[in-house]
Formats: sequence, C-alpha cells, structure tokens
Amino acid sequence: MTAVIETEGLGKQYRGRWALAGCTLSIPAGHVVGLVGPNGAGKTTLLNLATGELAPSAGTIEVLGNRPAAGPAQLARVGYLAQDAPLYAGLPVADHLRLGAHLNPGWDAGMARRRIERLDLDLRQKAGTLSGGQRAQLALTLATAKRPELLILDEPVASLDPLARREFLQDLMETVGEDQVSVVLSSHLISDLERACDYVIVLVDSRVRVAGPVDELLATHHLLSGPRRDPASLPAGLQVISASHTDRQSTLLVRTSGPVLDPAWAVSEVGLEDLVLAYMRQAARPAPRNDHRHLEVRK
Amino acid sequence: MIWLTWRQFRAQAITAAAVMAVFAIVLAATASDLSGMYNSSGLLTCHGDACSGLASTFLSNLASNGGGFVIPGSPYAILYFLSVLVILIAPAITGVFWGAPLIARELETGTFRLTWNQSITRTRWLTVKLTLIGVAAMAVTEAFSLIQAWWAAPIGKAVGLGGGSSIFSEGRFGWFVFPTHGITPLGYAAFGFALGVTTGLVIRRAIPAMAVTLAIFAAVQFITPLWIRPNLFPTSQTVTTIAAAGANVSLRVNPKLAVTASVVPGQPGAWIISSDGVNAAGQPVSTIPAACEPVISGTLGSHSGSAAGPGSAAVNNCVASHGIRVAESYQPASHYWPLQWSETGMFLALALTLAGYCFWRLNRRT
Amino acid sequence: MIEFHLAGRSGVAPYLQLIHQVRHALRLGLLHEGDQLPKVKDVAAGLAINPNTVLKAYRELEYEGLVAARPGIGTFVTGTLDGGSLAAHGPLRLELQRWLAKARRAGLDDESIEALFASTFRAASEEDIA
Repeated sequence: MTAVIETEGLGKQYRGRWALAGCTLSIPAGHVVGLVGPNGAGKTTLLNLATGELAPSAGTIEVLGNRPAAGPAQLARVGYLAQDAPLYAGLPVADHLRLGAHLNPGWDAGMARRRIERLDLDLRQKAGTLSGGQRAQLALTLATAKRPELLILDEPVASLDPLARREFLQDLMETVGEDQVSVVLSSHLISDLERACDYVIVLVDSRVRVAGPVDELLATHHLLSGPRRDPASLPAGLQVISASHTDRQSTLLVRTSGPVLDPAWAVSEVGLEDLVLAYMRQAARPAPRNDHRHLEVRK
Repeated sequence: MIWLTWRQFRAQAITAAAVMAVFAIVLAATASDLSGMYNSSGLLTCHGDACSGLASTFLSNLASNGGGFVIPGSPYAILYFLSVLVILIAPAITGVFWGAPLIARELETGTFRLTWNQSITRTRWLTVKLTLIGVAAMAVTEAFSLIQAWWAAPIGKAVGLGGGSSIFSEGRFGWFVFPTHGITPLGYAAFGFALGVTTGLVIRRAIPAMAVTLAIFAAVQFITPLWIRPNLFPTSQTVTTIAAAGANVSLRVNPKLAVTASVVPGQPGAWIISSDGVNAAGQPVSTIPAACEPVISGTLGSHSGSAAGPGSAAVNNCVASHGIRVAESYQPASHYWPLQWSETGMFLALALTLAGYCFWRLNRRT
Repeated sequence: MIEFHLAGRSGVAPYLQLIHQVRHALRLGLLHEGDQLPKVKDVAAGLAINPNTVLKAYRELEYEGLVAARPGIGTFVTGTLDGGSLAAHGPLRLELQRWLAKARRAGLDDESIEALFASTFRAASEEDIA
C-alpha cells in the first residue's frame, strides 16, 4: 500500500526552538489517522508541513508521493480543514460553494449540494453568522467536494459542543465510507478520535512517541501487574512505557512483540486512551528505574 | 479565480462607481455653463495680444466670488480645485482601501488557509488579483482625470491664450496639475496599489498596513515634484535680466535675496524649476546691495529678518541697476510629454518591482 | 433491518460488539436468512466509527459462515446459529426457572443472583479453555 505521508527526519525550527524534530513516519493509505498530543506538541506544525504552508528546517516530507503544494494538481489531491474552520464571514454559504466550484477542477457540485441540503444550511446565510458546528460542516464540505485522495483536518472538533462533534464525525465517517479517502486528523483528546481512527500517531514535546495501526498497538501493549519488581530486571524484548509502584506491587505498561510468559505477572489488555496517556507521561517524565517515592495507585 | 476576485471586490467596486457617478454628474451639470461663459467671453474670435487680456478677464471672473457666496471664489474655482484633489488622492485611496487589505486580510483572518489550499497556486491567485484590481485602480484614476480635463477645457484654453497669473495659471507643470493630468495618474494608481499590497503582505495586518501605505505614498507625492521630477531630464540653464524674466525681488530669511522669475524669455510655457539672483560674473548673490536697502525700507517699513512680499518695481529696478541678473533653471515646454512618459514609466516600473517582490515573498515558505 | 448501537466504555472492542449484536439478533429471530445487513458506510456514519471497524465485523461474521458479502449490493444473512431457535431448548429453560425459584427462596436478591451466575459462568469458561 502506498504511503499518503512519508517523512524522514523531519524537523521545523522557530526562533531557536524545534517545534518538531526527528519525525520519521510512513502513513499508509486507506486509514483514518489520529494525530494526538497535548497542545504545543507540534501537531499543527506537522500538518502545516504536510499542506506546504511551512518548509522543513530539517529532513524531508512527501505527500502522496510529491512535494507538498507542488502545483495545482497536487493541491487538488489534498483537502484541508484548518483549525477553527476559517471562512469568509461576509460571504454566504452559496458563495463559498461557488468558490469551491471555481477554484477546483475536480469539484463535485452535486455532492456539495446534497451535503448542504442534508445539513439544512441556508444558502443565503453569511458564514460569519453560522454556529461553530455549521462552520465546521461547511468547511468539511469544501474540503471533501473537490474529491481529494487525502483529507487533513487540524483539530476539527476542538471547539465544538458534543452534539456538533458527534455530527461532524458522523459525516466524516460517511465520507470515508463512500470515497475511500485517507484522513489525517489531529486532536488533543484521544476520546474524540477513538472510534474514528484506525491508525494513531502520538506526538509529545515535538517528537513522535509511537505510531501504528490501532489494532497492532493494542495487541502489542499490555498492562502487567504483579509483585514489586525493578523494571530493569525484566527480560529483553519488553519495553517499559510507564511504571508505577507501591511498596508491594508494580504495575507496568509494556510494549512487546511476543507473549508475556512469566507467570508472576497478571496480564491485561490496555485501552487506547490509557496507551496514549502512558506515552504522554513517559515523555513528560521518563519512567524512573527505581523510584520508591512513586506511589501511584492504579486501578 | 476571476469570479472570486470580483465577488470579494464587489463592494469596493460599487463604492468607486458611485463616487465616479457623483463626480461625473456634478461636472457634467456645470460643463455647459462653463463653456457658455467661455464662448461669451470673446475668446473664440480674438486675435493675438487681445486674447491675453480677454483670457485674464475670463479667468479672474471664474476665480472671483461674484457676490453672494459665502465661500471664497466662484463655484467653478471650487469645483476645479476639488476635482483636482480627487484625482490627486485617488491613487492613495485605492492603495489604502484596495491594496493594503488584499493580502493582509487573508493573513489576519486565516482565510488564506482556505483559499490557498484550493486547486490553484498562490502565484495564480495573486496574478489574477493584482491584474484585475490594479487595472481597475488605474482605470478609475485615469477616468477621473479625463473627465476633469474635459470639464476644465475652457480654463486650459484660456490659460494657453496667455491668461496671465491667476489661481488657474499653475500651468501643466504645476505641483498639483502634473500628476493629475496626462498619463501620470496611471503610474500613480499602479504604484499606490502595488505599495498597498506589499505593505499588507509585509505587515500582515490590514489597519497598520493602510496607515503605512498612506504615509509612504504621501511622502512620495511630496518628494517627487521636489527632487525627482525636475531631474528626470537634464535641466536647461539661462541667465537673463530681471525685467525679461518677469522676475520679482523679495527678501527672505535665507537666502536674504530671492529673485522669483515667472517666465523664461524665448521659452513660452517652460517649467521654471529654480531662479536665483546672480552678479555680472554669474555667481549667486544672496544679499541685497546696500544701496537698495533704503528703497526697500521706503516701500515696506522693515527689512530685517522678515520676508518681504513681491517687491515693487522700484526694488526690482534698483537691484537690476546694480548688475544683478537672474539665473533660471528650467525644463522647456517641449519636455512636457517626455516628462510625463518618464514619470509614469518610473512609477509603473516601481509598481512592477513591488509586485515581483510580492510574488517572491508569497511563494517563499518560511 | 437491524440497528446497531455501541456501549461507550464497556471495554469490549466495537467490532466485537457489532458481531455480538448480529448473533444476538439471529438468535432472537430478529434476523432471518436473506435479510440485508446495513451498509458499511451507513453503520459508520450512524455510530461515528471507522468503516474499517464495520468491515472487520462483517468479515468475521462471513468467516463464521453467518453472512455473505455480495459485491456492489450488500451483505446478507446466510446462516443461522447452531442449535436453532431458543424454543428448542425448552427443558433447559424449565430447569433454569426452577433454579431461579430456588435462589429466591434462599433469599438472594437480583444482584446476588446475577453475580453468582456470572462468576460461576466465568470460572466454568476458564476451565474449558485451560
């Protein structure tokens, strides 16, 4: 399967600080990719590099096999929804659709019209007076009606109320189901993305911490609980992501490719949210090897 | 892209059309009266020297109050200067209101992330915008100029027939007249617009960009007639008597002696750039001859430090009798169109350079 | 047509929940042979889940021989679950009713009955696996 986004050592520097560093990814096509991380982690920077708004300070990036924004043909293949869904406040909905029709040779007017009807948007209403959810929906219509191969969405549901958020994701999933378009969307909340994404990239502190298909990640990460043990004494092949200890018990989140055979450990599955949180914690505070003070009770 | 440019420009276009309509209607309503006055002044059928007298009468009638109006000068004089003012500020207005927000608003509101990710490149986006709106700015300004020139034709003819000194006699080279007639309005409009777009791109905020555009453009409009226009072609020099130059001697603070010429002998319609008093050897004279001081105090009552107005004939004759003549630096009348082309070309080239910079900077991904 | 729902934080993977709901519907007789399952994109849109998740569930059901995909048309029910309908298990049902009556006479409330059943059921399943 071809990669929709391929990066090699990608980095971006602003005023001395690296907003993104050492990013090497190969995102396969045909997935809904969730880019998750705390605010300021570098998600928007990565997406801006993918759309060609920024140029790399280090490394390379290729989108659909080409340099980002390399020309009109490349721009037509990528649909983009920026943070806070920028629209022309003074232009009505109908004129936004005309904008799409005039500026995109691949524009599907019928699809756009059907979506707007289904969303019950008033064609004459100025975009500035639409609600947050309606703006996001209109912006999504503009991004998808040009029939791109890749959709890039920067925190599309961050400022939406729960109902608008659900409706947006429903529409997005319907588009994915209909068109086989690859999607990369970012959020600082994994719960937004859990149901929609089948590929996850965790970005914390300018670096990619873990990336891969959700199924594979869930299958290779386990929660081990057992008697108090020094993580360094674990067998090789078991990568400790996070560890917490009481005086008698250790709970570890580990990554491994094989089964855990040591009978002293109770092995249980890990949910996506807990997995992401563990990587975020690891980035904030690398798991201490032998920290007696670290008293964290884990359920 | 053409549709989008029009749609975003629509409100500004309607405003410009409305202003132009008012401008045209007001001038058209008074045009027949003005030409009627011209026809009945006898200037149509006069010959030779008689004409200049009739012309002066005609022009001073236009300039005078005519009784009954509170405003100084007749309505025609006011209309004349207002219309010239409109042409003068039109490039600044289009630069500030059409140019500065063009890119700045998109950057400010984030809509560039919407539009520059559609299936067109930034280059194409800017090309269409700059071309369509730039041409509109040039057309609007030039239209104002042509309408005004059509309306003011009688005045121009009267001045040409030797209308002497009146408020209308600034001549084609005048500070306000040169940039508002001929083809220079095109150059100014293009430059003002390109300046606005560039400041908007660099400053990235519409309101500050509008202010900076206005400031820079005003500075350019001030500097150009002072230092640039006179030197677009090498100036010609001549030295002649005070009387032949129709000059007046006056006192200033620095230099003390100012000789202000009004004609260049043998060069009707020339643009006098500077005139200075010179002695018999051709060196500049900056003080009044001692022998003439009593003449001045006699006519004016004070001669130290303060500026004395256009001198009397007595002062002129006294100074001339001491061998002081006037050196004039000028551009002959035949240089009018070459100067027009040069200045327009210069501003068009500036506009294109600024536009080129905008393309480069827009495509440069930081 | 069957309508799917997802229990948000049940800890059971969404695709498994979909499979269970299809099997449950089959058992209860809500789905018959020849019935069409909702289209993948409609399920994805309705629940705001990834279409691949729905595909995975449908493929698993196909592997179990319960449904068959007809390309371009949809996915249709082809089989029934072993053991036929619940009606065939009359004797088992009767035994269960008697046991329930006994449990109530012993003083167990609803929650305790459920807990007793669940823990015994789980222990028995684990014994089966081990």
